[in-house]
Amino acid sequence: MISGRITTQMTTASVLSSINNVQDQLATTQQQLSTGLSINQPSDNPSGASLAIQLKNDLAGLSNYNSNITDGTAWASAADTSLSNVMSMLQRAQELTVQASNGDESATDLSSTADEIDQLADAIKQEANTQYNGQYIFSGTASGTQPYSSSTGDVFQGNTSAVTRQIGPGSTLQVNVDLSSVLGSGTSANDNKLLDTLRTISSDMRSGNTAAISDLSTTQLTNLQNSLNSLTQVQANVGATQNRLTLATDRITGLQNSDTQSLSNDEDVNMAQAMTTYSNQQAAFTAALKAGANIVQSSLMDFLSN
Amino acid sequence: MTIPSFTGLQTALSGLEAAQAAITTTGENIANANTAGYTRQTVQTAATAPLTIAGPNGGTQVGTGVSITDISRIRNQFLDVQYRAQNSATSNANSNATELGQVQTAVAGDSTNDGLQSVMSAFWSSWTALGQTDNAASRQGVIDAGQTLATTFNTVAQQMQTVQSQAAQQYSTLTGTNGQVAQDAQQIATLNQQIAQATQAGISPNTLLDQRDNALDDLSSLANISVSTGSDGAVTVNFGDASSPLVSGTTVTWPQTLTSAAGGQLGSLLNISSSTGPVGQYLSSLDGVANQVISSVNSLQPSSPFFTGTSASTIAVSANTSTVQSSSSSTSGTDLAQSIAALSGGSADQSYAAFVAQIGNGVAAAQTTQATQQSVLTAVSNQRQSVSGVSLDEEMTNLIQYQQAYQASARVMNTIDDALNTLINTVGGGI
Repeated sequence: MISGRITTQMTTASVLSSINNVQDQLATTQQQLSTGLSINQPSDNPSGASLAIQLKNDLAGLSNYNSNITDGTAWASAADTSLSNVMSMLQRAQELTVQASNGDESATDLSSTADEIDQLADAIKQEANTQYNGQYIFSGTASGTQPYSSSTGDVFQGNTSAVTRQIGPGSTLQVNVDLSSVLGSGTSANDNKLLDTLRTISSDMRSGNTAAISDLSTTQLTNLQNSLNSLTQVQANVGATQNRLTLATDRITGLQNSDTQSLSNDEDVNMAQAMTTYSNQQAAFTAALKAGANIVQSSLMDFLSN
Repeated sequence: MTIPSFTGLQTALSGLEAAQAAITTTGENIANANTAGYTRQTVQTAATAPLTIAGPNGGTQVGTGVSITDISRIRNQFLDVQYRAQNSATSNANSNATELGQVQTAVAGDSTNDGLQSVMSAFWSSWTALGQTDNAASRQGVIDAGQTLATTFNTVAQQMQTVQSQAAQQYSTLTGTNGQVAQDAQQIATLNQQIAQATQAGISPNTLLDQRDNALDDLSSLANISVSTGSDGAVTVNFGDASSPLVSGTTVTWPQTLTSAAGGQLGSLLNISSSTGPVGQYLSSLDGVANQVISSVNSLQPSSPFFTGTSASTIAVSANTSTVQSSSSSTSGTDLAQSIAALSGGSADQSYAAFVAQIGNGVAAAQTTQATQQSVLTAVSNQRQSVSGVSLDEEMTNLIQYQQAYQASARVMNTIDDALNTLINTVGGGI
């Protein structure tokens, strides 16, 4: 870089500029060490910075899926609990009906059994009104509407539409189940579903005549069994939903791990390497200072006699 | 064959004078060793006209000593041309790297703050929350995140526009009536006049020439210049892509219109402040990202738009908690909110990543050019210094040489004096 004559100004300028250069490199390494990032501005590595943004977007998307999965899991487990309660009440109704259909209970007994059946029907409606996070989970997409309210009797007020959650890229999952297919809309609908059946059972018990008792032992027991079968089916659906959610969690966690790893590879500094570079640069800096101090000091005048 | 008795004395005297001039010039060089832009000087000498002495065989010539012909600067005009071209390019690169670096800081923030990326992610997440539970809190969350996103877009766009307007401001300061261009041009015109007068009188105006070269160097950092020297020693300076010469003799023509092709710092500032320059391009890329967010979100809000505006500087939230639509119909749940949440990582996010890469590449390229240009300038500057700069060691060596020459001339004078003494006092037996 230097040809022929070397002047005093050239020497000082060159010493100064090499000290500045080393200092500049030191500052860069120091920034990497203190932030722990090898990319501190996009210009440090434009494609790396762009990749880091994409990975962060991916991670944000995955955490949204995760939040949807958590939400869906809460829906499914709330539904599961309610369905188990409905199941045990249905079984109790079955027991009572079987006892009553024997025909050897007194009218008083039958009347109190009928009361219990009505209470069971109301309790089942109560279960159907279960809420999660302020939303009725058995109302379909009309999650703000109570499925069975006291003012509208046994008539189902919600809809049967699917409530879905996005649990992965392009993958949606229905997180609610249709309980109204088991419960039905009561005697006015005459749909032989659970509420209709329970109300009929209680009225049969109250009437207590032979035809009514025989209706209990035949049609109503069959109807109860049908309700039990469809309830089991709904429970199985919830179980399947829970399984899919667990699998989705595993998959999302896997993706999160790999994205986090890639992000770290992309933008994190290699500490061992950076520390080594740092000590090398520090040594170079000291050397530049020492050399500069010696070169700038000496001249021909040191060696001329007066 | 006779040589006049006192010729030798005159010859020795001319030697003394030449050595003295050389020592004085060496002193001047040493004194100015650290003066910026100083050109080292040397004394040019020539043997004086000899004395012809007639003799039997046609005679002979005897030297009569030395005369000082000139004290001149040691300078290579071609290196000046190279230096000024590289100086323009370097200051252009420096200005580009500085200004684009500011844009990068505006966009990317510091390393702990990811700027728009994290705000956009938070916006999509707020729609995820609305997709799960449609209530007052989640609706408010969407509005808040939308406002943060809009404000961040506004701020980044504004900071980029500030870089542009500051560049324009700096340009008008430098080119104004009392700006650097006007001052340098006026100084060169004044020096032109003084140099022309000195040249006419046959004097080498070394100091004035150094001053003018300094002013030309300074001017070359502002824009490309081309310099031509007339026979009277005055220079004509063409500046950037201005239509008339900036300085011609003693005439200054300024202000004139420049474009971004002017080179130097001024060219860079015009390029930065222009809407078609790099910052203008970044700004329109950012507008593209903002537009994608606006249109993709609004297309999923059929009844009333969520965002208004068409660019990064005009984007704003127009929806409120009651006009936000989470559902396309009463039986479709929160389909719209979920569809908007699914835009996360989509085309808007990808355009933003591309936008960051665009800025990163631009700044990295500007920084690389700056570093390369800086080392080229250092090399050319060293070459020029190598020719024109003062080396103290060399001057000390010269000083010894001229001192010896002075002493030797004095010795010659002494010897002639002795000889004349002998002639006058001894020849003829004395008085």
